[in-house]
Amino acid sequence: MLKHLFKLIWNKKKENFLLISEVLISFMVIFAVFTLLVHNYRNYKLPRGFDYEQVWSVSLGDLGESKDKDSVGLMHENLRNALKSLPQIKELSFTSSNVPFSSSMYRTRVSYKGKELNTDIYRTEMSYKEVLQMQLVSGRWFSAEDNASAKKSLIIDKCGKEQLFGSGEAIGKMISLDGEEQKVIGVVESFKDKSDFKAPEPAIFTRIDTGNIKNIANILIRVTAGADATFEGKVYKLIASTMKSSNLEIKHLSDLRSSKNKETTIPMIIFFIVAGFLIFNVALGIFGVLWYNINKRRGEIGLRRAIGATASSVSGQLVGEAVVLATFSLIIGSFFAIQFPLLNVFDLPASVYLTAQFLAIVFIYLLVILCALYPGKQAAAIYPAVALHEE
Amino acid sequence: MIQLKNIEKVYRTDTVETQALNNISLQVEKGEFLSIMGPSGCGKSTLLNLMGLLDAPSKGDVIIDSQQTLQLNDRKLAHFRNSKIGFIFQSYHLINDLQVVDNVELPLLYRNSSAKERRTLALEALEKVGLSNRVKHFPTQLSGGQKQRVAIARAIVGKPEIILADEPTGNLDSAMGNEIMNILLELNRIDGTTIVMVTHDPNMAQRTHRLLRLFDGSQVQ
Repeated sequence: MLKHLFKLIWNKKKENFLLISEVLISFMVIFAVFTLLVHNYRNYKLPRGFDYEQVWSVSLGDLGESKDKDSVGLMHENLRNALKSLPQIKELSFTSSNVPFSSSMYRTRVSYKGKELNTDIYRTEMSYKEVLQMQLVSGRWFSAEDNASAKKSLIIDKCGKEQLFGSGEAIGKMISLDGEEQKVIGVVESFKDKSDFKAPEPAIFTRIDTGNIKNIANILIRVTAGADATFEGKVYKLIASTMKSSNLEIKHLSDLRSSKNKETTIPMIIFFIVAGFLIFNVALGIFGVLWYNINKRRGEIGLRRAIGATASSVSGQLVGEAVVLATFSLIIGSFFAIQFPLLNVFDLPASVYLTAQFLAIVFIYLLVILCALYPGKQAAAIYPAVALHEE
Repeated sequence: MIQLKNIEKVYRTDTVETQALNNISLQVEKGEFLSIMGPSGCGKSTLLNLMGLLDAPSKGDVIIDSQQTLQLNDRKLAHFRNSKIGFIFQSYHLINDLQVVDNVELPLLYRNSSAKERRTLALEALEKVGLSNRVKHFPTQLSGGQKQRVAIARAIVGKPEIILADEPTGNLDSAMGNEIMNILLELNRIDGTTIVMVTHDPNMAQRTHRLLRLFDGSQVQ
């Protein structure tokens, strides 16, 4: 019967051309939707590598250039002590302005044995790991022993480590950063700080050099669960009185995260709505064409009933024809879809495209079957004695 | 072979009730060639539909090959039609998108027969109606007579014991009509197929074993 249906559709390919094209276009749109969904979902499921809850980011604003580094360092120390004396503050760390989920970004290039890597760079303190509760994969975080070290130390995240060292050991290796050899002392879990839907990128953490505290304009503070808006006001006043900054700002990392996530989710929702309208129209189109076909083929349906088809086999045939028609479209569509992983378009993993392709195929089949069910039922209800005498 | 007992058929709409057949009792013996004649609208096709189990009577019994058919469900009726009955229609009812041989194979699609077996039987049937040279043609490439021969091949491909023909020569000129009639007579004579044919043509009816005349839904002869 399947061969018969293929033959029937193939012999009517000119009549079915528009419907095949319509299903093909829907497949490509659905393929794009699922690629986006699968890609974002996979990124969402990846570990973040840190905890943002109960963490505030204090932007100290423009502190101006100070020629006296010691006095700035002293001011930092005084502020740290004042803040840490508050019981609601568990831990804090001065850091560069590229705090998690912010729009600020510092990029640099490191190299190891001629292999280069573009990476984010974060300037941190010993307490940074505790504030963000980062997960150490191997080695250690910065400690007092690094003060006496002749070589500067740095920490790399898992994503950066894999790109620079592959599966080999990273701890103890010297990498070149800004023309200076620095020692890798630790590897932390991949640092997914751009958004929940963005894949982690290589990240390097260096320790704030007391001799160079330029750009250290942020404090990350981990607070207790009971820290409320009143406490936030208190912290604000305390920092403002110490730093004399003109544009001090306190933000919660959870708010920054949800705002960053919206940068992905809002365009995605708009895309889904547009795709949804398209699919709805296609569904109506398929439904309409099948309905029209049934009315055009009443004689044939009557004949099939006369020569031995049951009502359910007539209905099944109509659904089967729609499925065969969709198969023609999906074969053509799959040819185009498979080019994406083959040509490495958009630099996404092949598995994302293949999963999206599989889901799009299932979706199209379901859509077509759903659209064919009712016309199929109507075809089954055609009374053969009447249909055979209409022509 | 076919037994109709006190058949009545009434078509009802919200406002009108039409008596299509009124108390018809009829027996068609195995191997008999029966023709049915009567003016348009007298119930000939309705009677044929009842014999072909395409329609159910309002009253009465339809017994085919000693089998009471009124209690059969859709699945069993379909199987019964497929295995016992072949249909020929005035307007051929060929599927224009399928080649001649595929049209002939159609009834076998609803049986458990292999593709090879279907093809062999279809070619045999086409040979029988003299259309071996038109196997790969499409119905639109055939003349009326050839189309009807394809329809006959389709009707006999499953080797049914009964053929029901509804004005098989109605759309053909007399020469073509005679050709078709000869094929039907041959099927009846050589294969012993029971044939019931509705016709308007008294010359065709004369060539059959028995003639049944209908008028206003009632048997008049």
